[in-house]
Amino acid sequence: MTTEETFQRPPAEIRYADELARLGEDDRGGRPPGWALSLETARAFIVGDERRGIRRKFVGDPSLIDRALVSLATSRGLLLVGEPGTAKSLLSELIAAAVSGTSTLTIQGGAATTEDQIKYSWNYALLVSEGPSPRSLVPAPLLKGMAEGKIVRFEEITRCPLEVQDSLLSPLSERVLAIPELNGTDGMVFARQGFNVIATANTRDRGVNDMSAALKRRFNFETVFPIADFATELDLVEAEARALLEASGVTVPPRRDVLEVLVATFRELRAGTNADGGPADRLSTVMSTAETVSVAHAVGLRGWFLRGEPGTAADIVACLAGTAAKDNADDLARLRRYLEQQVPRRRGDQWRALHDARHLLPG
Amino acid sequence: MAVTFIGVRHHSPACARLVRRTIETLRPAYVLVEGPADVNDRLDELLLGHQLPIAIFSHYRDDERAHLSWAPFCAYSPEWVALTVGRAHGAKLRFIDLPAWHPALAGRRNRYADAEQRYADAADRLCRAFAVDNVDALWDRLVEVEPDDGLEERLATYFDLVRGETETGEDDTAREAYMAAWVRAAAADAGDRPVVVVTGGFHRPALRRLVAEPGSVVPEITNVRAVPVEVTSGLHRPAPRTGTEEPAGPLEVTDRSQAPGASPVADAGDGPVEVGGGLHPGGDGPEAARADVGADPAGAAARLPRSAASPLVAASSGWPEIPRPAAGAVGGSYLVPYSFRRLDAFSGYQSGMPSPEYYQRLWEQGADAAADGLVEAVATRLRGRGVAVSTADLIAARTLSAGLARLRGHPHPARTDILDGLVSALVSDDLDQPLPWTRRGALEPGAHPVVAEMVAALSGDRTGRLHPDTPAPPLVHDVDAELARLGLDRTGTVELDLSDAGDLVRARALHRLRVLRVPGYRRVSGPVSGADPVLDERWELTDDEERTAALIEAGAYGGTLRDAATAVLAEGVAAAGTKPDGLAAVLFDAALCGVTDLSEQITELIAANIAGARELGPLGDALATVLALWRHDRVLGTAGSPMYAAVIDGAVTRVLWLAEGVHGGPAPADPARLRAVTATRDALLHAHEVLSTGREAALDVMARIGADREAPPDLRGAAFGFGWSLGASADPVRALRGAAGADTLGDWLAGLFALARDEVLADGGSAGGGVLAVLDDLVTTMPDFLAGLPALRQAFAYFPPRERELIARRLLERRRLTGSARALLRTTADPLLIAEARALEERTSRLLAGEGLLP
Repeated sequence: MTTEETFQRPPAEIRYADELARLGEDDRGGRPPGWALSLETARAFIVGDERRGIRRKFVGDPSLIDRALVSLATSRGLLLVGEPGTAKSLLSELIAAAVSGTSTLTIQGGAATTEDQIKYSWNYALLVSEGPSPRSLVPAPLLKGMAEGKIVRFEEITRCPLEVQDSLLSPLSERVLAIPELNGTDGMVFARQGFNVIATANTRDRGVNDMSAALKRRFNFETVFPIADFATELDLVEAEARALLEASGVTVPPRRDVLEVLVATFRELRAGTNADGGPADRLSTVMSTAETVSVAHAVGLRGWFLRGEPGTAADIVACLAGTAAKDNADDLARLRRYLEQQVPRRRGDQWRALHDARHLLPG
Repeated sequence: MAVTFIGVRHHSPACARLVRRTIETLRPAYVLVEGPADVNDRLDELLLGHQLPIAIFSHYRDDERAHLSWAPFCAYSPEWVALTVGRAHGAKLRFIDLPAWHPALAGRRNRYADAEQRYADAADRLCRAFAVDNVDALWDRLVEVEPDDGLEERLATYFDLVRGETETGEDDTAREAYMAAWVRAAAADAGDRPVVVVTGGFHRPALRRLVAEPGSVVPEITNVRAVPVEVTSGLHRPAPRTGTEEPAGPLEVTDRSQAPGASPVADAGDGPVEVGGGLHPGGDGPEAARADVGADPAGAAARLPRSAASPLVAASSGWPEIPRPAAGAVGGSYLVPYSFRRLDAFSGYQSGMPSPEYYQRLWEQGADAAADGLVEAVATRLRGRGVAVSTADLIAARTLSAGLARLRGHPHPARTDILDGLVSALVSDDLDQPLPWTRRGALEPGAHPVVAEMVAALSGDRTGRLHPDTPAPPLVHDVDAELARLGLDRTGTVELDLSDAGDLVRARALHRLRVLRVPGYRRVSGPVSGADPVLDERWELTDDEERTAALIEAGAYGGTLRDAATAVLAEGVAAAGTKPDGLAAVLFDAALCGVTDLSEQITELIAANIAGARELGPLGDALATVLALWRHDRVLGTAGSPMYAAVIDGAVTRVLWLAEGVHGGPAPADPARLRAVTATRDALLHAHEVLSTGREAALDVMARIGADREAPPDLRGAAFGFGWSLGASADPVRALRGAAGADTLGDWLAGLFALARDEVLADGGSAGGGVLAVLDDLVTTMPDFLAGLPALRQAFAYFPPRERELIARRLLERRRLTGSARALLRTTADPLLIAEARALEERTSRLLAGEGLLP
């Protein structure tokens, strides 16, 4: 087997193999049929357990994890909805790794996704020479997951055409997948214990409103929100930005006071609230924690490679124009108003620098 | 003699059960309860047999501050149970905390708020260790759903951890010193008989220390064995439900709080350590208490007002003295009916246990029945609203709740298990805001209807009712006295002249009664807005049998007519939300009532509401109204009021913000938004000293709007006029030429004329190509004149007739013609014909509107 170092991004079950192994050994709780871990242990794997040396891997409400796990143990699938960049896919990967020991039975939804990529297709050479047989059948993630009793992940389900989405109906409700080309018992694949589906959908693309009511009924919805706590988000951004900057060859860490301003700005523009908690305009662009990290990264790069220092509030303004405003003129105007009218209300050197740099916005 | 301290969480049914059990077992001589000591002589009134919930309402006002607060009781409040069960078993009852007006309780609106909100760090650590969202979920998990055995130990552990090593605020220190003095006095008086003390669990560790060693400096207790009170708690963590999910953190936290000598409980043995009497002979009381005060951190003593800083213990009886407010201050406490909705509406530092209806059911029927009742209530409410709730959904909800309860180690489904199960099963949409029970916050507008109904079902709509024999709250007497003094204690018509000082006071009293919704006081006529030049009011006073009942209810808002009206207006501000017109109405009411000093909190809320306004037009009208009140109104006394200044500031900032967001190319002029820009300009001219958005920022915004091709022409014209009228350099002729075009010119001019009429006329007077000259050329050469005509007409309507005549004269001069300018303005058509045309137009519009073809 290839070692972890050679992968760009190993899946969760490899990244956290030792934690999963340790938790599995100690696990005395009752496991739902087909599950690799008990509910309690699976939760500890995701929300962390300092005493057992288990890292916290998902920053969010613990009750969300509770509901997600219990949903999976019942006969309904789990649908994680939320803004882009709220770590839905990470969460679904972690849950799949904890529940089934594998997170790679993944269908990536998109406009071009077909039923073949979800259920099964054929090895056409064998199909022509032998006719339809289990040997010529090429199972796709759903069929594999049903046959083996594993969690199947369906990313960005709402990006698929509706008819393709609806191919999940009978696997989710009847727990059976028919292969009409095969005869006899091979023609019906019954789901083993442990099979279920975690789908993710973001609220920006087509949203979940178009989903058929029949399919909606077969999922429990869980909305994943941006990180609620400022300090938690700041810590996360700082850690991630530091790692990215190191990887890019920047030897100075980002300045915390600059990051504070950056994170606060992103949070206010995302939530549409000002510093006093009063309502203000929110940007239509995605202002997720992931975007914050990428701006922090860009700020660090600009500072270091242009001037040999950690990056300043003025760099934030320069980078914001590209991230926050993208090609949307309205957002650019909102951003300008924010810098002009909300920022001067804040106290602090970096806030003042941010205000002074407002002219760096294009247009 | 033995003192049993029960540390409770206010409004916790499990704690209430513990209190009941303890009192029934011990049959104490004294039951001491955390509550305002100045109500002690009126405890009979409290126990008359009211329908709960009720509250002790306290009001206070002196030269420096005004304060309203409530101590709410419901059937499952441990404090209430302590009082009722204590009375039933013949114990003497005493409230032992400082009165609500005391500076140590300043800022507390809910006496029974959770103390841990003020010391959130330890609570956060606990939540993380148990992997729960917040303190409420943690509390349910540790206390409410667990069986009652071992509850006392769990509570003690919990509150010791929450208290931890955090430095206590001086307010809490002062209160604890005072409560300890009462406990010592009661213990001395009780002799051999037990004393039960029911206080917030947060205070329990400190009270025990203080009572045990009256002479020592509070935090430094080292000799653990010498604790001379009954110690019934060891440090036991709640038994974990399953072997594997044994939560880790708390033990570590516990260890930390047990650094040697830090906690007196650490080695205190398992059973009660009963120490015989003699340690507290009656004579010791005063000295002990005095020593105690002396040993207090200086801050605590310093905060006591002069009257209370005298020895806390009356030398003769041994009982602590009840502090009296300083001379000149007004204050009092009395009973008022309360409601679950208000109980659930406290937020932030004032919040306590949420969801009173759920805990009421838990108290009455037990956890399982409460869970069932909750599901039923939610399903009934949702079905009543036409939301489909199928049997399958309810089965799914039940399954999920049971699964969640098992995963979280609850023997019965807890509040959050039910809510989480219901929301998973019933909500098939993405949510706009986090679930309120995960954040411990109030529901924001626009919540998912299912979630909103769930929260409402948990909150419940029970309201309390006072026993008929309860003395009426002072508001009733205050109103009667006030009306008699003003000669308004009669029926019939009252005519008032607002410019007369005496009548102004009368009008204010009547308006205050009106905003309190006391029936029998109706205003027939009077000013309807800040700019209304009406100075007479006419009132119709009638005798209404509901009047007294309404006044008693209104008594919950304040002890005097003014205080109560202030509180209602503050509520009105909150209810108006981000609707500027609603807000302007409340502010005008405030002006009529003569209440222009709403608290800072309310001013902030108004500012926040204004900052959330979405429509430019209504916001502009509100700004104009308030600006008029702030600048001119000397009759109502609002001129220069800081509260109105805050509104002006917020509205100007928001108008600028919103104006830049208005896009959409050519569109008919919208007079409402032009008024908003005008009001903003006026505010910059006349109220610049209260604005935080300066002239430069405003001019920048307007310059951008003026140059923005996407902005509607009227707004661009207004933006240009804004800069021009404020003296910012600009070239009107160039701007005018830029706006030329049959579809835009008229609307652009409407904006310009709305803002800079004077400048246009003045400019036209200069030699050469002034604005009017260029305009004349543009109109003369306009290719599609008829299409542009209506908008041009509308634009010139901003000029009054005399100025129109001036324009006409200039046009004549420009063409070197002689003749009457006035004649040019006269129409040649028959006035009757015009009137008929107008009537026809109106009828057509009405018809179209009636058929739904016009908005």
